[in-house]
Amino acid sequence: MPFLVRFLFVSLATYTLVHLALGMIVSLIARPAVHMGERIRPHLAARGLLALRLLPAVGAALSVAVVGVPSYLSNEPEAPTERVGYGCMIVALLGLGMWAVSIARGLRAAASFRSFSQHCGQAGRLAHLPGAPAPSYIVDSTAPLLALAGIVRPRLAISRGVLRVLTAEELAAALRHERAHRSAHDNLKRLCILSMPGILPLAAGTRTLERGWRKFAEWAADDRAVAGSERRSCALAAALVRVARIAADSPRFSLASSLLGDTDQLEARVDRLLRAAPPGPRIAGRSTLALGAALLMSGSLVVAILQPAALYSVHQVLERLEHFVE
Amino acid sequence: MTQDALGHLERHVMEVLWAHGESNVHDVVRRLGRPLAYTTVMTTLDRLFKKSLLVRRKWERAFLYAPRWTRREWERKRAGDFVAGFLASPQASGDQLISSLVDAVGQYDTALLDELERKIRSKRRELRGGGNG
Repeated sequence: MPFLVRFLFVSLATYTLVHLALGMIVSLIARPAVHMGERIRPHLAARGLLALRLLPAVGAALSVAVVGVPSYLSNEPEAPTERVGYGCMIVALLGLGMWAVSIARGLRAAASFRSFSQHCGQAGRLAHLPGAPAPSYIVDSTAPLLALAGIVRPRLAISRGVLRVLTAEELAAALRHERAHRSAHDNLKRLCILSMPGILPLAAGTRTLERGWRKFAEWAADDRAVAGSERRSCALAAALVRVARIAADSPRFSLASSLLGDTDQLEARVDRLLRAAPPGPRIAGRSTLALGAALLMSGSLVVAILQPAALYSVHQVLERLEHFVE
Repeated sequence: MTQDALGHLERHVMEVLWAHGESNVHDVVRRLGRPLAYTTVMTTLDRLFKKSLLVRRKWERAFLYAPRWTRREWERKRAGDFVAGFLASPQASGDQLISSLVDAVGQYDTALLDELERKIRSKRRELRGGGNG
């Protein structure tokens, strides 16, 4: 079997195994991590859960790129008679399958977003709403629609139904909330989440982290929108309830859903806003220091791993994987 | 329901009516430009009327049909229906590239909403009393 083909199989199989191992760990800590998120600032909790969600895919890719590839290239002989075991092939194909499922999910989301934008363009007219985070489509509909759609050039979609029920103050609070989503690049993060393989497709840990991230991303946008003002906090709470009321009053918009947590979420958000106006997120000062320290530690680790003796040991493991069930 | 997708013949009939305005069944059969039975076209017009896409009035012993909306109005309405339906789809919540103010998929309990509104009113009174801005 040619060297390049063996190299690809071993790299993919290594990726899959590291991904599964990291995924198991992440899956185990997903629920406690979401609970812990409730005790810290929402934007930090959202960041932490996002990092955990992406860890299996990113960690596995980095492990292969930084350790697996140099070890294999420096120690594997170019013997054309060598073969890859069936076990190794199956594991590698499983990894490919995981990526295929995730990429399909990302593409499906991108396609439906495209369709949504086109229909918004047909159903409404493009306008500039004062305070809106992006050019806005005002859609002729009674739907409870107030959403920021898209990544590169996001557009705000708002229905006449929502414009009719919100007061000027409530609308301003709602628009600040959407602006906060835009500055946090939440739709880009959504795309990353959708396109990255989960721990295993449809695994519970993945769903827990994704739901947790969505919750804290909403809370963080609420915090940023009200920025410590009780008046704004109250206006945003009122906007949430008024828009939810449109959904409640029309059976068409409140179809039976498997997301049973939604009413809890609305109640939790409103209660949170009314309890005490949440302060806006602080500008990170210590995070630069923490990032620097993490980079320094990772660099040192990489240098230690790239020593010939360490690479040789890794190669021994890769050899076993390569000839797994031959 | 107007949001229902149109079949091929229905769309063709709508095109004829948008182009020529109010017509009876004979006119539509003639303008369709293909051999179709009178009863087929009559059934199609009746179906479009029941879908609220056409209005009709009796003239002598036949019905005259006309589009309820202009083509542009209809396309707008259809797009609006799509947008509203998009929010209510089970996929809308997580697997979308949109950040919605409120998840439309949830089944909001009106009693809960009443309770939340009561809390908001009470908070507003408190703010007015304290003068907090």
